[in-house]
Amino acid sequence: MKIIHLIFALLLVIAGITIFVLTGEPPTGATGVPHPDVSGLSLGGDGAEKLSAIGRAPYYFQICVILLAASLLYLGVPPHRRDHLLRISFVAGITFALFVWIMLWGGYESYLLNGETTVVFGFPAPTNWMFWGIWGSFVAFDLFYVFAFRRYFLHPDDEAAFEALVREMEEEREAN
Amino acid sequence: MEEYRQPIILLFVAAYMGICIWVGLWAMRRTKSAGDFFVAGRGLGPWVVSLAVFSSTLSGFGFVGGPGLVYATGLSSIWMAVCSALGFATGYYLIAKRIRMIAEVRNAMSLPDIVFARYGSDAARLLTAGTILLGVLGYLATQILAMGVVLQSILAGTEMFANISLIASVSISSAVLIFYCVTGGIVASVYTDLVQGIVMIIAGALVVITAASIFDGGFAEATGILLAEDGEDIMPFGTLGPMASLSWYFLFGLGLAGQPHVATKMMMNRKLSDNKAILPMTVFGYVIAAMLWVSVGIIMRALVLGDVASPLSGADEAAPAFLSTYAHPILAGVVFAGLFAAIMSTADGFLNIGAAAIIHDIPKAIRRRSLENELFWARTATIILSLVAAAIALSSGQLIALLGAFGWGTFAAALVPVVLIGLNWKQASARAAIAAISVSLLINFAIQIWQIQIPYAISGGFLAMLTSMILFIGLSLIEKPKALPKDIDRIMEL
Repeated sequence: MKIIHLIFALLLVIAGITIFVLTGEPPTGATGVPHPDVSGLSLGGDGAEKLSAIGRAPYYFQICVILLAASLLYLGVPPHRRDHLLRISFVAGITFALFVWIMLWGGYESYLLNGETTVVFGFPAPTNWMFWGIWGSFVAFDLFYVFAFRRYFLHPDDEAAFEALVREMEEEREAN
Repeated sequence: MEEYRQPIILLFVAAYMGICIWVGLWAMRRTKSAGDFFVAGRGLGPWVVSLAVFSSTLSGFGFVGGPGLVYATGLSSIWMAVCSALGFATGYYLIAKRIRMIAEVRNAMSLPDIVFARYGSDAARLLTAGTILLGVLGYLATQILAMGVVLQSILAGTEMFANISLIASVSISSAVLIFYCVTGGIVASVYTDLVQGIVMIIAGALVVITAASIFDGGFAEATGILLAEDGEDIMPFGTLGPMASLSWYFLFGLGLAGQPHVATKMMMNRKLSDNKAILPMTVFGYVIAAMLWVSVGIIMRALVLGDVASPLSGADEAAPAFLSTYAHPILAGVVFAGLFAAIMSTADGFLNIGAAAIIHDIPKAIRRRSLENELFWARTATIILSLVAAAIALSSGQLIALLGAFGWGTFAAALVPVVLIGLNWKQASARAAIAAISVSLLINFAIQIWQIQIPYAISGGFLAMLTSMILFIGLSLIEKPKALPKDIDRIMEL
C-alpha cells in the first residue's frame, strides 16, 4: 500500500466519523451553557452528557488525525531515502503520540465519571497531557528533523544533485 | 511609578514604532528589484527567517483574541496553540525544501508562482492568487482595526489624547505600517519581524511569571477556583467540548503550512541547510510567546469566577484588563509593544503577499507576463491595499468579521492539498488542484455568508479543508498521471 493511499483512507475514516457526529442529535449544552450572571462567559455544564450522543467518536477521531499527521510527514521524506531506521523512528513517534492521547482521554473520562482529578504543576493531569504531551509528541518529530536532517531531509547527494540542476538550468537560460 | 503608567506604555509603543520606521529606511537601501521587494533576494539568515515565520504565525489574534477565548470558553482554543509543533513540522517536512528549490530554479516570487511551476496551469495560479487576495483583505482589515483599537485605548488614557478618534488611531498606526512596508518591502518586513519576534518572546515569558504570581497559590489556586466553579473549562477541551477542540487542532495543525504569509517566508533563506536550525527556533519561539495566550486567559477567568475581579465588558478585554490592572507599568509597556509587534508582523506579511498577488500573480495568470517596472507597482499596490483594508476596517464591522473568520480556514482549505500534498506527490493533477481550491472557497463562503451553525461547534474551516483534501487526492487518483516539467520532476525526487 502506498503512503498516499493510507492518507486517503485515513481522510475517509475521519470524514466518516465527522458525518456520524454531525448527523447525531446534539444534547442541550453540547457546546457549553451561558454563565447565569456573567455575560459573554460560558460554562462547560455536564461533560458526560455532551458525549451521550457521540460516545467515543472524538477519541477515535483524534487517533486517525495522529496517524494522518504522521503519514503526511512520512510523505515528506523522499521515497529513495525511506529506510528501516526511518520506519522504526516513525513507529516510535506515533506510539508516543498515541500514548499521550490515550492518557489524556483516559484522564478526562475518569474525571467525567467521578468528578475528581489530580492537580499536577498547577493544572489537572489531563490538561497537562494536553499542554505538554500533545505539543511534545510532535516536538519529537521536529527534533527528529533536526538530528536526521542530513540523512533524510537534505542528504549531501541530494544537495549536490540540486546544485547540478541549478547550473544546468542557468546554462539552458543563457543558451536561449 | 503607577502614576506614570500611561506615559511609560506610550513611550515603549513609540520606541517600538520608531524602530519599525528606522528599519524601513535601512531596508529601502537594500531593495533594488521586485525580487528584493517580495522574497528578499533569497538571502536571509536562519535567525531572521525563524523569527519571521513564528511572529507571522502568531498574529494579534494570539495576543488579544486568544486570552479572550480562554476567558470566555476555557481551554477549548488552546488546541489552536498546542498544534504548533505539528504545524511547523508539516511545513518543514513537506514544503520548506521544495518551495525553496523551486523558487531558485524558476525565480519564483510568490506562492502562486510555485503553484504554476508545479501544475503548469494558469487557472490554478489565478485561483491561488485570488484566494490569497480575498483572505488577505479580510485578515488585513482585522489587523488594521485591532491596531487602531489598541492605540486608541492607550492614547485615551493620556490627557493630551483623551478624545482621540478611532479613525485617527487607525491612521497613525497604519501610517507606520505602510511606511516600512512600502520603503523596505519584505526586507523591512522580515527585519521588523525579527524585532517583533524578540519582543513577543520577552512579553510572553514575563507575562507568565506575572500571571503565576497573581494568586498566592499560583496557577494551582486558579485551577482550584475553576474546578470548583465549573471544572470543564480547565479540563483539556474547555466549555466547547472535544469535537470543537479537535477540529481546531486539525485545521490549525495541518493548515499552518498552507498559510501563504508563512509559506512565502520559507523561500527566503540563503541556504537550504539553514532549515535544520530554523525549525527548532521557530517552534520554541512560538511556544514561549503563546504562553501569554494561556496564562492571561486562565487568570482573568479565575479572577472573575472567583469574585476577585469584576466581569469584563467583552472577552477581548482580557489581555488589556490584565495588563492595566496587574502588570508592572514597564511590563505593560513591553507587552503593549509586543501586542503591536504581533499585529504588525502578520499585517506586513499580508501586505507583501497581497501586493504580489495584484501586480505579479494575477497579471501573469491573465497576460502570461508580469507588469513593467514591478518594483514601482509593488510599492503602489502596497499603499492601495493598505488604504482599501483600512477603509473596509472602518466602514463595515460585519464584513470584517466575515472576512477575518474566513482567512485562516480559507488559506488552509484551499492551499494545503495543493501545496503540501501536491509538492510531494507527482500524480497530483492541475484539475484536482482547481477543484479543491474552488470547492473549499464555496464551502467557506457558504458557511460564513449564511452563518451556518455546525453541531458541536465543529470548525467550518475544518470541514472545508477535509473536503478539499479528499477531493484533491480522489480526483488525482482517478486521472491518468501526466509528465511533469524536467526541473520540477527532478526537484520532487530530492
